[in-house]
Order: sequence, then structure tokens, then C-alpha cells
Amino acid sequence: MPPDAISLAVFKNLFASVAEEMGLTLQRASFSPNIKERLDFSCAVFDAQARMVAQAAHIPVHLGSMPASVEHALRAFPDLGPGDVVVLNDPYRGGTHLPDVTMVSPVFVSGEARFFVASRAHHADIGGMAPGSLPLSTELYQEGLIIPPVKLAHNGERDEGLLALITANSRAPQERQGDLEAQLAAQRVGERRLLALVETHGEARVQEHAAALMAYSRQMTEAIIARIPDGVYGYEDFLEGDGQSEGSIPIRAAVTVEGSSMVVDFTGSAPQVAGNLNAVQAVVRSATWYCVRLLAEEDVPVNDGCFQPVRVIVPPHSVLNPDFPAAVSAGNVETSQRIVDVVLGALAQALPERVPAASQGTMNNVTFGGMADGVAFVFYETIGGGHGGGPLGAGISGRHSHMTNTRNTPVEAIEYGLPVRVTAYALREGSGGTGRFPGGWGIRRVYEFLAPAEVTLNSERRVHGPYGLAGGESGEGGRNTLIRGEGEIPLGGKAAVRVEAGDRLVVETPGGGGWGAVNG
Amino acid sequence: MLIGVDIGGTFTDLVLSADGQLHIHKVLSTPDDPARGMLAGLGEISPGGLGAIDRVSHGSTVATNAILERKGGRVAVITTQGFRDLLAIGRQNRPQLYALQPQLPPPLIPRRWCYQVPERLDHTGRILEPLDTDALDAVLDDLAREEIQSVAVCFLYSYLNPAHEQAVRARILERGILEDWQIALSSEVLPEFREYERASTVSLEAYVRPVMSRYLGNLEDGLPKPVSLRVMTSEGGVMSAGRAREHAIHTALSGPAAGVIGGFYLAKQAGFEQVITLDMGGTSTDVSLCPGEPVRRAESEIDGLPLRTRLLDIETIGAGGGSIARLDAGGALRVGPESAGADPGPIVYGQGGERATVTDANAVLGRMDPDHFLGGAMRLHLDPAREALSTLGREMGRSTAEAALGVIHVANVNIDRALRRVSVARGYDPRDFTLVAFGGAGPLHACEVAEALEIPRVLIPRYPGVLCAFGLLMADVVLEESRSVLGPVTPDTHNQLTSYLEEMRAQARAKLRQEGVAEKDILLSGLVDARYQGQSYELTLPFTADLAAAFHAVHAREYGHALRERTVEMVNLRLQATGLVEKPTLAPEPVEENDGSDARLGQRDGFTRYKREALRTGAAFPGPALVFQLDSTVYIPQGWSAKVDGYRNLIVNC
Repeated sequence: MPPDAISLAVFKNLFASVAEEMGLTLQRASFSPNIKERLDFSCAVFDAQARMVAQAAHIPVHLGSMPASVEHALRAFPDLGPGDVVVLNDPYRGGTHLPDVTMVSPVFVSGEARFFVASRAHHADIGGMAPGSLPLSTELYQEGLIIPPVKLAHNGERDEGLLALITANSRAPQERQGDLEAQLAAQRVGERRLLALVETHGEARVQEHAAALMAYSRQMTEAIIARIPDGVYGYEDFLEGDGQSEGSIPIRAAVTVEGSSMVVDFTGSAPQVAGNLNAVQAVVRSATWYCVRLLAEEDVPVNDGCFQPVRVIVPPHSVLNPDFPAAVSAGNVETSQRIVDVVLGALAQALPERVPAASQGTMNNVTFGGMADGVAFVFYETIGGGHGGGPLGAGISGRHSHMTNTRNTPVEAIEYGLPVRVTAYALREGSGGTGRFPGGWGIRRVYEFLAPAEVTLNSERRVHGPYGLAGGESGEGGRNTLIRGEGEIPLGGKAAVRVEAGDRLVVETPGGGGWGAVNG
Repeated sequence: MLIGVDIGGTFTDLVLSADGQLHIHKVLSTPDDPARGMLAGLGEISPGGLGAIDRVSHGSTVATNAILERKGGRVAVITTQGFRDLLAIGRQNRPQLYALQPQLPPPLIPRRWCYQVPERLDHTGRILEPLDTDALDAVLDDLAREEIQSVAVCFLYSYLNPAHEQAVRARILERGILEDWQIALSSEVLPEFREYERASTVSLEAYVRPVMSRYLGNLEDGLPKPVSLRVMTSEGGVMSAGRAREHAIHTALSGPAAGVIGGFYLAKQAGFEQVITLDMGGTSTDVSLCPGEPVRRAESEIDGLPLRTRLLDIETIGAGGGSIARLDAGGALRVGPESAGADPGPIVYGQGGERATVTDANAVLGRMDPDHFLGGAMRLHLDPAREALSTLGREMGRSTAEAALGVIHVANVNIDRALRRVSVARGYDPRDFTLVAFGGAGPLHACEVAEALEIPRVLIPRYPGVLCAFGLLMADVVLEESRSVLGPVTPDTHNQLTSYLEEMRAQARAKLRQEGVAEKDILLSGLVDARYQGQSYELTLPFTADLAAAFHAVHAREYGHALRERTVEMVNLRLQATGLVEKPTLAPEPVEENDGSDARLGQRDGFTRYKREALRTGAAFPGPALVFQLDSTVYIPQGWSAKVDGYRNLIVNC
């Protein structure tokens, strides 16, 4: 029987359930808070042609970036055998940034690789010049261990030497070991569940429905795009310095909507930069497709069909399509946010009654580390901010927006483990842009250091606040300040400073843009 | 005479136990004052009137509804200076990942009633900055002016040193601004680390206390004095009304708990200890895995607000009898999460429902008895339901019957997925389990759901529609003491924890005696939440001499690996205290083999039909069959066979 409305619904659940069970296994078996608690991972199922059939993702930046991993794994190993597992993190060969480690394995049915399963997890430290592997770098080599597509398991046998090499390059080798084991376990679960599916329903029926599901998601995505008026919509916004120099870095998008297809052309965006803000194509695709996903009125299963109607053009040698070995560590966390801002800014012209003003547009990455009582300490966190106001009302305050949604670390946990005291964690009153529906407020977080430390800040929207729309004002930009004695030292959006005991670091995050004129 | 009462949105169910016999009764709920409906039901079910009742245990949604509808009253929170927005910021994540403009539920406490006072402790509980009493007095002036009805206090590290929180209470009482029960301290409600979760829990407690106090007052006023009145908690135990006034938030997630307790009890009595419960109602389905006993967990939330009181580990999905079926923009059939609910309800109820639901699909396929639904109290409107499903079928190119089967199939697939999450994904093999199905719709779907997961056996209780009320009869008094013990496990740990546990045992015993529990009925067990240093989540394990070794073993079992070189860190010490209650004795009846023919109603639509009340113990018959009863219908597919056991459970085997 050909796929119909009922069998489509059933297989939608079955495939999603495979990806979901992989994810639950990964989460359950993993060690690090970043995977277990912040859910910075995703799992997916691919067909024989390496097209994504289903994905379970908790982090938007993983949405469209997994297919490149399978593609590169197969390019490196065209004839994978049963029991093989390929691992990679090279942003220029299927990865995004080095902390995201991806595994790919084939699923063999009657002697042929009929499916692939893949898992990706953000590993808290993969080496490089700074703890956390998100440094103010100028080349990829400084960001950590580069893993091209290589076999971590061959014919069911794990390569213990390779595993040891990877873990030895991390500042937390035991944690890496635990997390990599968890990923391997997830791969096995995915393979087993797919084989069970084939056994129950027959290979032909499973394949047929994989194809039908991709057509289904394509149709739903086309329906989303078809509701956007035809036209060409452009928008430009800026990143504020790459950590090496202060100049503005333009990100430009031209969105062309024609019927049920869309082309997003980033031509006119800046050439690649010396610092770490370069984003590889997979990240650009994720951020772009995330914007389309926001317009969906009902849940669309994420698979290859979703990406078909959206074409992304990135100019070569640009900040959105850099050449190896350009630094990319912050492309994922900061540049991705600006890509969303420009695509939504363009779409707002087509859908002025739906698209809200800009949200904080940064993740406010704060890293610090040092030695206290002879013991090394390291800490990384991101801070929420204001969301844009929009047709549904005022923007929400003090929350993460768009490409991230990770949770904070409790103050009672930070102070227990680190020589630092958090003396304020509150909303920045009135920091949202005014408007009929004002932007949400940013956050003010104050750290008082009890021991010397090296602090790295990767933040944006310190010069220009997030834009308002439909007559609303911009939100207030963020601000980073070091207070030493009576003196206040303003820090830029990107900063690497040494602090002494008694110094206080004040991070104020941006408010969201306002929406609609106050008297409109 | 013991009575269990489950107050639902539409009906209040009562189960009375006297002289080894159970009696059931249903009355309409009175949502404006739930006490009224319950008192009416009690008067009707008790042959000797209210005065003859010894004990009433009931499940109440008063606290739950107060939170969901934001009807808790004028409540304030006081925090450490610098942390006024603790509740507003939360863990800084947004609730919807893919919303164009994410929205938050309205705050429990508006910002103008979120106060801060200068004071500060460090992470060892040492005072860095004393409580500023002038600033406190200014805040208290404001509380009085604003006519605040209850207040939550949450200072940093109060779980290590409650002095400042206690000083705030003393000052409020001294000034006569509020009474003791109107003040909730985080160091008492949840003495555990993580400031946001603690602040959220204590604020919820303060929020529901006035409502709970009013409700219990109404109930007690209507009851003759010596009745022991108990309330269900989220963790599947009961507590006295007196205790419920000061632990009101412990009732907030109690809705599905009684069913798990009742279902597990029945299965165990019937000889099955590996159980999965399936409670399918009108709008949602609750599933819970009980591997030898019901499982509890610490993390939960209500309406997006974290709540850290213990609760039964139950997974809820938005699929029930009222779930609406439709075709989506991509041409696939969707069932739920949108629900016709109780009002207007499914089309067959004839109360204005116009969109096809799971219940309509069951009715159209003849799986519900049009003549005897709810004992004949409600007529089923089959024609409009058939029409709606025929329309849906046309859109899919399928017949009416195929469409109805499809709707049921898709609903079942949603339930399958939830069952997989609680079993397979946690390392349990469903083939080792018995599925206990109840709720109005559970028995209709159980066998097909079990088939997909290869669960070999389904148990349908004698009264599947009132199992929660039954569970209330069986629930023991449960309470928990906890204290924060954050720090590495060292050679001194055992002695230190042992002395803490002694104190906690004494406190727990005293509390249980206040609840009317006799010394011999008290069970106590010490638990420790622990983790590897550097982890941010804990595993709970029984307190033992060699904690580190025990932790490695639990970690290896749960997650497949242990890090034996790494330091083990304790987080909380818990004492779980159970006071066994007197339970109705249900003796099995003699089982006499028979073919159920005396309960047979004949054949229709390919099913042999039986009347549940007329089935004698020992009756055995094959599917396809339908068993009709007052509060539910059991569907037994081809290939399954049913047998009535000595407790009148229907045991269906594949």
C-alpha cells in the first residue's frame, strides 16, 4: 500500500522515535553538564543517499548542519562496512566548530548500507589555547584538536589509540571519555532501532516512507514560504569587531521569495576576518533555516525536505564562507545570531505584522580561569538578555534568544566551586527599546573575583543596540566594565583581561528592540 | 469505614471500603467550591451518614488550579539584595525553542511585590553581611500597606544557615503583620542548594497556602469532628489536613499519583511486580514505570515554574479520548494535542462537539456500547460522529471505518512513544512488564498499545474508571526530611551523616506520630543525592557505609560507566519516612473455571460482547471481544484472551 495520511503519521513517529531514543541514550550516559543538563546535542537518521530523514535537536544551530557531516564522512570513506563509526569535528570537513564532535555510522540491511545514523554533541573542552575551546583565536589550530573524518571503530572494533589521542587533548580527559562513550552508545541504539523497524515493516515500506516524509516536510515548508508575499527583501546589520580589530563587519542578506521557494543570498557580507567570528556554511544554513522554521504554525519534522525549498548563497572567502584555516570558534555563537537578525529583518518587510524586533543578538560568552590555592579553575557561561517586542506584546526579559537556549549556572554552584562571588544578577530596568510593544530588559551580572584570573569576553551589541521595528526604538546596547578600586575601566565587546582579587566585572546585556510607534 | 475520594474536573469519584467490600459512587464536581461536591458524595455513599466515617483520603486539585489560573492571592517574596529578579530570570532559558516571539506565563508574583534586603552569606554559611533590619522594616511597611496575604523568603545559602530567614519571620510576627502560617521560609520548605529552584518552590508554597487553608476549612466545617481527613501528595502518599496547610504545594502534582499507587497495588496483589501503568483520560494520558515499586523523582515543574518537592515519576502526553483528529498542511493525520476536553467533548456525547475525536473513532467502530454508556445515563450520538469520520476519510481517500482505525492507530503510536521513553530508553525491556490500564479510555487502547511494545500481559482493574479513588484508600502517609550536605565524600562522611540522620529520624517520627501513625507502622530509609565532582546532576542512592563505592556502582548501572578515580560529592541527605495506613483487606474469591457465557451479550460488528458486572471469577474467553462496564469499555483484539482472576481483575494475555 502506498504511503497515506495514516501511515505517514505513523512513520513520522517511528523515525522521530529512533532519533529521540538515540538522544535519550546520549543524555543519560553522558558525563558533562553541557550535554546532560544543557542538552547541547542532536541525533539524526539518514537514508542511503545521505539525505536526512529525521532529527531530534535541542539546539537550533544543529538544525541544518548535520547533513554536511554525513556527506564528508562518506566522501572520506565511500565504502564503509558494518560496525564502522566515523568521527569528525573539522569545520572545513563536515563540522561547525571544534567542540562539536560528530559521529556517523552506517546501518546495513541485507549486505548494503541502507541508512546512516549520526550524533553530534558539544564537548566542553577539546583543547586549544583557552579553556572551553572558544578562544579569541586567529587560526583554527589555536582552537583545539582538529579531527578530520576518521574511523573511531572499524568492523565493530574500537580504535582505542584514537580514543586516547582525543581524550588526551582535552583539559578534562575523563569527562571526554564519558561523553564519547555516550555518543558511541547512542550510535548503537540508533542502528538497533532502525534494524528493528526494517524487520517489522519490511525494508521497502520503510524506504518508501522515508521518502514520503521528506516530501511531506518539503510540502509543509513550501506552504510556509507560499504565505510570504513574493518579492526581494534586503537587510544589513553589523558585527562589532572580531577580537583583533574594532571595525564593523557587515552581514547582508537578500531574501527572494517566489511562490513556494526562497533564495537567501548573503553576497555583500564582509570578507573573512582575522579573528574568530567566521562561520562555516553549515552554520549559515542552520541559522537561515531556523528563521523559516520560526514562521511555521505547526510542527514540521526536520529532514532533507525542509531544506529543499530554501537556497542559501554564501560568497566565497567571506566571513560566512571562510577558507581553511580561518578561526571559527565564535561563528557558531555570535555570528549565527547576527545572521538570524538580518534574515528576520528582511522577512519583516514581507511580513510586517508577524516579525518581532531584534532580540539581544549575542550570547554574552564569559570565560575565566586561573589558579587558586594551587588548583586550576575554569568557568564558561553565557548570559540571557532582552527579546524584541512584537505583535504579540512586549519582549520577554533576561532570557536567551534564537540560536541558543542553554541554562545558567546557579550562583550557589558558582561560588561553591570557584574563587568568585556574584553580587548582583538582576534585570536592567528600562533597557528595552520603547515602542507600542517595548523590548524586553537585559541582565546585569556582577562578578567579584577573590583570586587573580584571566577573563575572556566574546560579546556583541555593545556598540549598536538590537534594532526596533515598525517605528519602535532600538534596545539599549550591552556594556562590559571592570571596576578596580574606585576606577571604572570600560571593556569592549571582545576582551581578554587579567583581573586581580577584589576586582569586579560588570556584564550588562542588551535590551530587545521595541515594536510599533508609541503613539501608533 | 474508609473512603477514598478523587475530585476531578467533571466528576468526583468515591470508593468506600467496609467489611471487606468495596462500593463505588460518582457525583458531579463543584469546581467553585470542591468541598461541597465531596461532602455531598460522602453523605450519599456512607450508609450511616457522615458520622459513620473513620477516615477519608482525597485527592485535590485546589492548589494546582490556583497556580494554573493564577488565583493564589496577594503574595510577596523577599530575596537577598541584588537578586530581586531571581524569579523573573529563572534559568534564563525560554520555554519555546522555535517561537517567533516566545511568551512566558504571567509571573506568580508581580515585580512590585518582589523585595530585596541587604544581607549575605558565603557558600559555607558564614555571614558576610548582617541582615539590614532598617531595610527589612521598610519592606515590611510596604507588605502591610499592600495588604499582602502571605510571603516567601529566600536568601542565598539559607539551607546552610537559616538565621537571616528566621530573623525575618521573627520580625514579621513581632510586628503582627502576618501569622506564622502565612510565612514560608526556603530553609524550611526546601533546604537544598540552587537558589532559583528553591525560590520558585517556596514562592509556590506561599502562593497556595491561603487557598488550601480556606478549602480545608470549608471541608472540616462540613465534617463531624473525629474524622481523619487526609490529602494526596505528588509523591503518592497522603498527609493529614493539618500538615497539608503548611505543605500545600506538596499536593500540586498529585492528580495522576493516586492512579499509579492503586494500579501498582492491584497488580502486585494479583502477582505482578513489574508494572507499567497507563491512565488514559479525556485530554491526556499518564504512564509510569514501576520496576518492583513506584519510582519517585525530584525534578518537575508546574506551568513552567520549577517545583522541587518529590513526586512520582510519571510521563504525561497530550493524547486522550477527546484528542481531535485532523489532516495537517502536509497531508498527514494528526491526533491531539488539541482536545475537545469535557466541553464540548467528543461528537458522540451530543454536547456540541463537531470535530472527530479518538472517542468518536472508537464509537463508530462499535467499541462503545450505545445503549449502556455510563449505565445508560448518556445516549451516544453515532450518526454525526460517523459523518465527521467519513469526511475525514474522504480527505484521505479512505473509508469511514479505515479513517476511524487510523485515528486510533495514530493515537496509539503517540502512547507507544511515551511508553518507550519510560522503558526502553531507560534500559528496561517492556516484555518483562504487565501493563495496568485504567481511566475511561485506557482499557480500550491497552491491548493494541501492548502489542506494539511486545508487552505480553494487560491487567484491567475491576473499576478502571475510579482507580484513583481506590489508590487513595491504599496510599500510605509519606513524608521526607532533607538537608544540604554539599561536599566531597571523605572518611568522616559516614559518622557525620549518621548523626544527621539520627536527628532527621527523630523529627520524622515525631511528625508521623502527629499524623496518627503508630510506632510499629513507621518505615524510615536514608537516601543520599550524590555526583562526581564537576557534574551538575545527582543520582539518589540508599545511605550506606561506603558511599563512594556505592555511588560508582549506581553510576555504572544507570549510565554504563563509572569514574573510579574521581571524587564523589554528596549534595543532599534525605530521609524518606512512611507511615503504613490500615488498608481494606480484599480476599480473593474462589476461582471457578467458566467460559463467561452467562455474561455474554451476543455478537455485533465482529465482536463477542460481555457485561463486566456479570463476569464471574475464572471466566476465560478469547478476542475479538468487548467487555462493557459502567465506567469504561475493554477492547480485546483477535489473538488475545482474557481471564477474570480472584480479585475480578481482567487479565488479558497475548
